[in-house]
Amino acid sequence: MPLQNLRGRVAFIFEEIDFDVDQIVGVKNIKITDIEELAAAAMQDYDPDFRKAVRKGDLLVGNANFGYGHPHYPPMRAMRHLGIAGMIAESFSPGYWRGEVSMGFPQVSCPGILGLVKRWDEVEVDWQQGRVLNLTTGAALPFEPLALADRRMIEAGGLVPYLKQPLEV
Amino acid sequence: MGSTITEKIMARAAGLPSVKAGDEVLAKPDYVIAYDFPGYTDVYFKSMKEDFGIERVAEPDRFAIFIDHMVPATSPKEEELHIITRTWCAENNVPLFERKGIGHQVAAEVGYAVPGAFVVHFDGHISQLGTFGTLAMGIRRNILEAFVRERISIRVPHTVRVDLEGELQPGVMARDVFHHLVRVLGPSSCRFQVLELGGSGLSQLSTEGLQTVTGLAMFTGAITAIVNPDETRLAYALPRARKALDPVWSDPDADYAARHTIDLSVIEPVIVIPPTPANTRDLKDYLGLEVQVGYLGSCASGRLEDLRVAAKILAGRQVAPGFQLNVIPTSQEIMAAAANEGLIGTLVAAGAFVSSPSCDYCFGRIATMTQKQRAVSTGTLNVRGRMGSTDSEIYLCSAASVAAAAIEGAIADPRKYW
Repeated sequence: MPLQNLRGRVAFIFEEIDFDVDQIVGVKNIKITDIEELAAAAMQDYDPDFRKAVRKGDLLVGNANFGYGHPHYPPMRAMRHLGIAGMIAESFSPGYWRGEVSMGFPQVSCPGILGLVKRWDEVEVDWQQGRVLNLTTGAALPFEPLALADRRMIEAGGLVPYLKQPLEV
Repeated sequence: MGSTITEKIMARAAGLPSVKAGDEVLAKPDYVIAYDFPGYTDVYFKSMKEDFGIERVAEPDRFAIFIDHMVPATSPKEEELHIITRTWCAENNVPLFERKGIGHQVAAEVGYAVPGAFVVHFDGHISQLGTFGTLAMGIRRNILEAFVRERISIRVPHTVRVDLEGELQPGVMARDVFHHLVRVLGPSSCRFQVLELGGSGLSQLSTEGLQTVTGLAMFTGAITAIVNPDETRLAYALPRARKALDPVWSDPDADYAARHTIDLSVIEPVIVIPPTPANTRDLKDYLGLEVQVGYLGSCASGRLEDLRVAAKILAGRQVAPGFQLNVIPTSQEIMAAAANEGLIGTLVAAGAFVSSPSCDYCFGRIATMTQKQRAVSTGTLNVRGRMGSTDSEIYLCSAASVAAAAIEGAIADPRKYW
């Protein structure tokens, strides 16, 4: 199934370079497995009202080398639970990237994204045209093409459904 | 234009005459390696059966499983996980290495570091097999692909070439070289690329030292590190190799995404301050900072040269009162050699707590720190909460610097004890 364009507001911009995603829920909460508890812990250090403000389909924006450190899965599980539908960053750290793509989470590297959007702008990730469009301002930037396997994994909704599909050469 | 060692290894694994960085290929790993850990191996074993109907792996010798975390078990649940692992390995006839040491090191000892081989693991520290010209990548959960399919989808990575030149100063270790490299090149300098180490200064690093440097490659953003193996590395790897492959080397006119030179002669002891491995600083700026815990071990450090240096520094001296120095040799082979050399006796006499190989000290499962405690560590990471309380702190440094800090109970320059 071809990917549906992502369309939503920029719910938050992580401006820190080499951002360690564990900070989203706080390192002390990283071992929590209950999704409601994780969601309650999420973003408390950044915007305590985040949970109220965010809505389904919203997107996150990050700076360069987003996900550096020793990324765990709970922070983005929590974000997805709160309605976050995808992530756009200047660039990603490989370990983080691989881990979240294997969860079927749509992500794109878009150099220049920090200059393209402000918080709460409405944006669209257009898979066909390979660009991120700021619907609020009309400006757009190309994103880096996904590797075929990454794209198929996101389309399939994660690693296991992807691997259940017949292998295309 | 010639090829990099990485392109040559990927071409063979993909069954193609040649590949170029950026190509997307289906490659057959020579070895698929994992350690048992909850949420990882137990999930893969279950998923293989339930989602993919795979009762037995087709080529058991292509797989290797290590039990190195939760060793020894401290709860029935942990031991039950090990039983699941032992059972799966026995049913599948897959080699299992339990209580032999930290898997990334043991993998080299028992012959999985085959020069020219392509290896995958879920854990990125497997990159240390690159010391021997093996292309070894940590691919996180995608390792499941290697458990259920013969070939995995992979984009041939670009390579950043880093040439080491000059001579190391006394008192400076491989660990200092790596963190200096992160500082000079940056924590995203090799993002999604292979860090290829070369240059005339490479011979300044022992094989063990190179295992330290290649094993930490992920903190430059690299997906792995590799070395064009010289006679010394081949002399270690070839007699142990489980498979006969022709070693390969980068061509002189290989195409690199970037080239850098690191001058070894300017490096001084460094320390990596919390909470990220990107924070390399001069050790001299932190002298006297009080520390309560020292950890000498891990897949990155804890090898013979680390133990020798620590023993040399601690010989005839005592660990500061109240300071906890934990010394955990990386593998049983290393521990036995250290015992034979008398290093263990020296360390124990100085007041070190010496324990058998285990991954568990590195992530605070044992020797857990509480709030406000501060450690000097040769572990892999200094993120908050890595060794216990999220309000404890980890300063990463060389084995020499850990030993010096143990004497003073504070961060100290190892060169005065060298």
